[in-house]
Amino acid sequence: MPAAPPAVSTRSLTVAVIGNPNTGKSTIFTALTGMHSLIGNYPGVTVEKKIGNFRHQQQDVRLVDLPGTYSLSPRSLDEMVSVEVLLGRQAEVGRIDAVVCIADASNLERNLYLVSQVLDLGLPTVLVLNMWDVAQSRGITIDVEKLSQTLGIPVVPCEAHRHRQIDAVKDAVLSVAGKNGVESPRVFPAAFYDEGKQLGSQLRDWGEPDVPFYVTERLLLDVGGQIESTFAARFSTRLTEVLAAARERLKASGFRVPAAEAKARYAWSRQVLTGIMVVPQQQQVTASDHLDRWLTHKVWGLTVFVLIMFVVFQSISTLAAPVMQLCEMGQQIAGDWVSSLMSPGPFRSLLVDGVIAGVGGILVFLPQICFLFFFIALLEDCGYMARAAFLMDKLMTKVGLSGKSFVPLMSSFACAIPGIMATRTIENRRDRMVTILVAPLMSCSARFPVYTLMIAAFFPDIAWAGGWITLRGVLIFVMTFFGAFVAIPVAWLLKKTMFRGETPPFVMELPSYKWPSAHIVLLRVYESARAFVIRAGTLIFATSILIWAASYFPGDHTELNRLQEQVDEAKVSLNTEISEKAELEKQKSTLSQKGSAPELTEIDQKLAAIESKLEPLETLITTKNAMSEHLLETSYLGRFGKTIEPAVKPLGWDWRIGVGVLASFPAREVIVSTLGTIYSLGGDVDEADSGLQNALRESKWPDNRPVYSIPVAISIMVFFALCAQCVSTLMVIRRETNSWGWPLFTFTYMTVLAYIGAFLAYRLFAFLL
Amino acid sequence: MLVVPLEMMTTGEQGRIHALDGSPEFVVRLQEMGLREGVPVQMVRAGSPCILSVNDQRLSLRFEDSTTVLVELLKCTR
Repeated sequence: MPAAPPAVSTRSLTVAVIGNPNTGKSTIFTALTGMHSLIGNYPGVTVEKKIGNFRHQQQDVRLVDLPGTYSLSPRSLDEMVSVEVLLGRQAEVGRIDAVVCIADASNLERNLYLVSQVLDLGLPTVLVLNMWDVAQSRGITIDVEKLSQTLGIPVVPCEAHRHRQIDAVKDAVLSVAGKNGVESPRVFPAAFYDEGKQLGSQLRDWGEPDVPFYVTERLLLDVGGQIESTFAARFSTRLTEVLAAARERLKASGFRVPAAEAKARYAWSRQVLTGIMVVPQQQQVTASDHLDRWLTHKVWGLTVFVLIMFVVFQSISTLAAPVMQLCEMGQQIAGDWVSSLMSPGPFRSLLVDGVIAGVGGILVFLPQICFLFFFIALLEDCGYMARAAFLMDKLMTKVGLSGKSFVPLMSSFACAIPGIMATRTIENRRDRMVTILVAPLMSCSARFPVYTLMIAAFFPDIAWAGGWITLRGVLIFVMTFFGAFVAIPVAWLLKKTMFRGETPPFVMELPSYKWPSAHIVLLRVYESARAFVIRAGTLIFATSILIWAASYFPGDHTELNRLQEQVDEAKVSLNTEISEKAELEKQKSTLSQKGSAPELTEIDQKLAAIESKLEPLETLITTKNAMSEHLLETSYLGRFGKTIEPAVKPLGWDWRIGVGVLASFPAREVIVSTLGTIYSLGGDVDEADSGLQNALRESKWPDNRPVYSIPVAISIMVFFALCAQCVSTLMVIRRETNSWGWPLFTFTYMTVLAYIGAFLAYRLFAFLL
Repeated sequence: MLVVPLEMMTTGEQGRIHALDGSPEFVVRLQEMGLREGVPVQMVRAGSPCILSVNDQRLSLRFEDSTTVLVELLKCTR
């Protein structure tokens, strides 16, 4: 029997996690809570709300992850969220029972700056010294016991990436949670605290009964900060005058706001660490520095950068291809299986042509999305992304932006939505706006299906250098950077016209390189794969059904269904011949490579014999196809498509592509599912070979010319590279800019750009080829 | 003791931050990130932007005319 169990609170405890960027905060968060966390948004701001749970010693704990920050002095509504959560004023989170503050043990002096601000909140706090191994390898020694005594809070050294000491962190959290808070350290002169008290009672007189000490402190320290703006809305100039007078008095006593805060906090930090932390005098040249000598070099760094990007996109196209083929096979099997279970009719058509051809057509791209996010997460987690931003700063200043814009733009290569949300790290408003407006030009993962489909269908599979470089890989690479290339003049133009102003200064931390954590990387892949599947299951599913309905009705399908039944029956009865034919064709293709003539003629004779037996079936299929083609053309969608055909003809498109593009307004990848449905319904697809790629290759104009040629494929790809066909992105732009004008502007300029680009590309390649 | 703007440090040179001058908001941000008066620094890669070693961290910086960081040069280790 165990000894008396610790006092267990029956309700779940709420614990906030905060820390500087690059301290391994998210590694600790996932180590504590495991894979499952709830991700959402706080209302009205762009801050990600991440909540996880764990159970330790029979106690449920809810963990709230706050965004990484160097300080708790809110300058914007986004930064304000962390403060509101910590003060227990965020309705969706509720009261905070404890704070876990994550610090980098190898850079403790700076990290204590944030710690001292957290302590001013007066909440029960645990300090976690992460990256303990890094600190030790640098010869830094920290007396944990003594540090804990000095600060009056539990201090836990931790190596989260090795899962070491995670239980100790949990123990420490339970030991403080819900107990009395810490006493704030007196880092400022007494005059400051007197002013704080006075301000508090002033606010009480104005009808604000409980203003926490932390709020009065921030009001005094942050000139024009977010808390002041929030309060100013309520008290107008009264507050501004009181604050100005208080700051003036502090200045007279030798405490200059805002410069004095950093001085006082760092002085406190140094005093705390005296006798507790010993850092070797000599600044060491680390392995990271050796790597940086190459990776941040003007010439070698850029060369490596381009090489890395090339390898990433090359391997996405080569690694994902076999998995994709498996998925396509699965899709085909599912379609055949459903067809064999049901007799032809609207419901079977809905399932096979709408759901399986539509949604299934998009799901086959899941492997590629996974690989793309895998590489981006890998580059981010090992610390390379910050170097890329450093390298790109020079280039970015040429168009009037800074390296800060690089990371949001780089993540837009996965998806513009997190990319646009990441622009909140850009302090300068003009830079942020320009970055938001060009971010959707970066080639996001939704364009991948379009590029892959077009490239796989119309470009030969040529390989060079022993299979390491393929034509298709090169084309994917070129298409991926095409949008970014166009973004350069667009950004430059925006900076010159609508957002004129100085280039802002640039400061960014370059974290030490580290081995990427498999857990973090896989988690990112899992989360994005989930989001992709959910999107396919909701938005794309709904659009697919709509497209199916519009292209199925109002035609009378009874005659077609009768033909379809006959085809199905004929196929069953001629089953042996069909498989024999396939076998013979296989033999023929292997023989024709070897070039043995007599055997070939023999096979040709056998084939001819079988084909004559199969002829009635072929005629039946041709009649059926002609009928479904007619039904499709007279459907709502077909009529609409014919009406708009003149508008898309200059781009080399037929009405099907035109409809596909219009239908893909909610999301770019819908074009693939729409084409899947259209061709599946149109009956252009031979039943034995239902691949969309073949359908595209065999699609014909009424005069029998093929619809798709390389110029048309390029025209479609260019259009999708430049267009703004993504409702979610436009909604995020609206939320970030707080206006409908900017998403409208983005949509207009990108659509015009896409149309002109597609037109020029079509003409140019039609002329060249 | 030679005091120069940070931009003038060459790769490998060491010094100590003497003063930060510029818009208060940006100066506070620099201080929060660890770049503050009295801190020893070493230029890891000169240029614009440069890479600066501050304590045990590496910061990437580019200054515009509005901000000046003055450094007392300690010694040259080139």
